[in-house]
Amino acid sequence: MNDLTELDEPIEIAQTMRDEIRRVSNATRARRLMVSRVMTTLCAVTLAVTAVPLALLLYQLIKRGAPELTWTFFTKVPETPSLIAPNATGGLSNAILGSIALNVYASILAIPIGVLVGVYLAESMNKFAATLRVIAQTMAGAPSILMGLFAFSFLLQDLHIGFSAIAGSFALAVLMLPVIIIATEIAVLNVPNTLREAGLALGAKPHKVSMRVVIPSALTGIVTGCILAISRAIGETAPVLLVIGGGYLNTWKPLSPVSALPLSIYENAKSEWPSQRAQVWGAALLLVIFVFILSLTARIWASRKQKVSN
Amino acid sequence: MSEAQVTKSPTVVVRDPGHTAMQLHDVAVSFNGRVAVRDATFDVAKNRVTSLIGPSGSGKTTLLRALNRLHDLTPGAKVSGRIVLEGTDIYRGDMTVTELRTRVGMVFQRPNPFPTMSIYDNVVSGLRFNGIKKKSLLDEAAETSLRSAALWDSVESRLKVAASNLSGGEQQRLCIARALAMDPEVLLMDEPTSALDPIATLKIEELMTTLKERVTIVIVTHNMQQAARISDDCAFLLMGEDRAGELIEFDTTEKIFNNPNDSRTLDYTLGRFG
Repeated sequence: MNDLTELDEPIEIAQTMRDEIRRVSNATRARRLMVSRVMTTLCAVTLAVTAVPLALLLYQLIKRGAPELTWTFFTKVPETPSLIAPNATGGLSNAILGSIALNVYASILAIPIGVLVGVYLAESMNKFAATLRVIAQTMAGAPSILMGLFAFSFLLQDLHIGFSAIAGSFALAVLMLPVIIIATEIAVLNVPNTLREAGLALGAKPHKVSMRVVIPSALTGIVTGCILAISRAIGETAPVLLVIGGGYLNTWKPLSPVSALPLSIYENAKSEWPSQRAQVWGAALLLVIFVFILSLTARIWASRKQKVSN
Repeated sequence: MSEAQVTKSPTVVVRDPGHTAMQLHDVAVSFNGRVAVRDATFDVAKNRVTSLIGPSGSGKTTLLRALNRLHDLTPGAKVSGRIVLEGTDIYRGDMTVTELRTRVGMVFQRPNPFPTMSIYDNVVSGLRFNGIKKKSLLDEAAETSLRSAALWDSVESRLKVAASNLSGGEQQRLCIARALAMDPEVLLMDEPTSALDPIATLKIEELMTTLKERVTIVIVTHNMQQAARISDDCAFLLMGEDRAGELIEFDTTEKIFNNPNDSRTLDYTLGRFG
């Protein structure tokens, strides 16, 4: 009996509470609807403000760049136009080859180190790891010309390696490292602890759990981070400007001077020949296509992996 | 450490050395000096199911995780007292933590198959972690443990499929198979059915009753009916006034549920609190 009398009061309170909620809700409905509409409109406007310039940029890029992407563009080295042949720009095969070589070498340098450091940061909690993390985060925000200056003074001046693909790759690798480290760390931290425990509870040593359980589970995030790092590096001009040397030769050798698409853009944009300035749009479009393909690959890879693990 | 030394020790009470899988003596676990569970002294009998029951915060899971040294990973965690497995103190004795964990397996609260591995790879993962590579051995272990976990018939044709394609109940039985593949002496189960529906729960409970013939089971459960249905012995824990869990009573399940010594045990099993 006692229990029932105790219950009576809360039920009454609940009833008045319910009435009050209903009353306030009705009274403010019109105002809430209006706020909702205003916010929706604001969202649409901000979306337009962001999307319109981007669309215009892409439109210009395709309109001016697409006609430049001819067979010659991909297969011939640059020529210097003359009064007799003002449109004889040749192609940018040297820059395309150079860009690919630079990024392949940079990836080979940066990905293994970056992934290992990222895993280390995620799996250890000591002071050294904390220091490394701060360094990586600072490096991620550092201006990219610094990487070029570093490669220039260290490789070219101190070690006397001449203008070369490898010097550019080194600069790009330093640029890619923090991106890879941070992406890997986040991916590894996102692996549920229960999986680590499951591995350890089977008598696995911690490094085996890292290699066989944690890294495979984090692979989607790690690969996505690497691809994003490459797509950032491929468009960078500043780090390679000082150290790759340029030149018109089709070469990919690590110790030869090479050209690169961003460098060609930088050089040709200053040209007095309209034909060469027009070629810049082709190079720019090609770079955007590269980046687009890379990030699309990253997305497709990520969603495919997600499906497997769900 | 030999068995003789342990039995000689005045602090460890060995009721029946041949029939005891693990002995706990005055076990306490603390995190950064804050005691989470203490006073745990009882024997885990071989080939029986021992359940740890008690309300939230009473330290059941904390105590269970001490039995295969999973607290080693947590910074600031400290386990005191003695936990003895077949005559060897698992914290101070001559046994590596990896050896301990191959002998004392664990099934977790939520099914946690390795998401990047197939069903087959999951079952044999423990063997592979410990360096076993021979295909015939792995195949045999996979089939035996999947059969023991009552999963073989439904997965036989799709062993190479990702483990994440299985239902929750199947995933949990896969985790049991994964633990059984190591042929452990003791299997720790941390609320293994709390994330499962009643039918999947029933299957796991049936499994436990058959499994205890070959492996000693220690199970944490929130579900008192479950403890009453499946366990032979029962440890009742309760949160003390300083918010540390402590062992209130340990006895056969029958005694705990029908005629406990402590009135608090009776209150809990009758559902008066918790």
